[in-house]
Amino acid sequence: MKVKRIISVLLVISFLSIFIGYKIYNKPHINVAEEAADIALTASMLLIDFSKDETKANAKYLDKIIAVKGVVTNIAEEGEKRAITLQTSDDFGSVICYLAKDESMNIAAVKKGQAIVLKGICTGFLMDVILVKCVIINSK
Amino acid sequence: MKTLYILLICLFLVSVTNAQERFLTKNGMISFFSKTPIEDIKAENNQVLSIVDVSNGQMAIAILMKSFMFEKALMQEHFNENYVESDKYPKATFKGDVLDFDKIVGSETATTIKGNLTIHGVTNETTIEAVIKKTVDLLEITGDFFINLSDFDVKIPSIVQNKISQKIKVSFRFQHKPYKK
Repeated sequence: MKVKRIISVLLVISFLSIFIGYKIYNKPHINVAEEAADIALTASMLLIDFSKDETKANAKYLDKIIAVKGVVTNIAEEGEKRAITLQTSDDFGSVICYLAKDESMNIAAVKKGQAIVLKGICTGFLMDVILVKCVIINSK
Repeated sequence: MKTLYILLICLFLVSVTNAQERFLTKNGMISFFSKTPIEDIKAENNQVLSIVDVSNGQMAIAILMKSFMFEKALMQEHFNENYVESDKYPKATFKGDVLDFDKIVGSETATTIKGNLTIHGVTNETTIEAVIKKTVDLLEITGDFFINLSDFDVKIPSIVQNKISQKIKVSFRFQHKPYKK
């Protein structure tokens, strides 16, 4: 009787650990649309922070969800991939927002020259500050 | 007469330096692939910056490590936090030359690119076979090569060693356009 009980307890524990392990292994990606932004600022401010001190800006912005406001200077479409470029006070640098897959449909309403607010995850600075998995918050 | 020649030469030089010498892309693609019997791991980065100076074939590439997107969030986390340490080394870079660049004309030409590849703070001299397509307003470079994780001091814990290949296949596609300010 005792042996049976121990076996059943062990079975339950092993099932639970397999289940938890599977859950961790399949942990979903952050859903930018559902999460609140960690930081909200303008495209110019974001670029200035990166061009002034990249290491500091990396620590501050990388992996964070950032809501950024700016004027659309370019809309790039390539296959399924869409990107919106935001103007900054700098002539060379800008903020490029790569849209999330599900968001790509909403791009038709976006026009060059309009003000827009986008939310996305910052991955760093090359010539421009780059945000990925962006969703459009406000395009008025 | 002499001054006229000098003037002409000056004009010629100005027009040469004004020609569009740099081709650039901000959304180049680099993906890598690790194949083991247990698990295939793939990640793609579509935000690669690549610049080619078409006057001499020099090439410079900058890659944000955090821009690599994995299918599974956990893999992405491990990649950034444990393997390539993206907070410490946020970028990978390549600086090199397209060999015999001036001989490349028009349609697809097989070529060799040689230069220094820096990943995870470690620089290695690398030779890459690539295919280049060159027209007036497009310079496309594609190819793939293998890198050894140990060459770049990327350590894989023994517990997951049989899930991650030591040899990683890297593929790339850059569609450079003439750079205008």
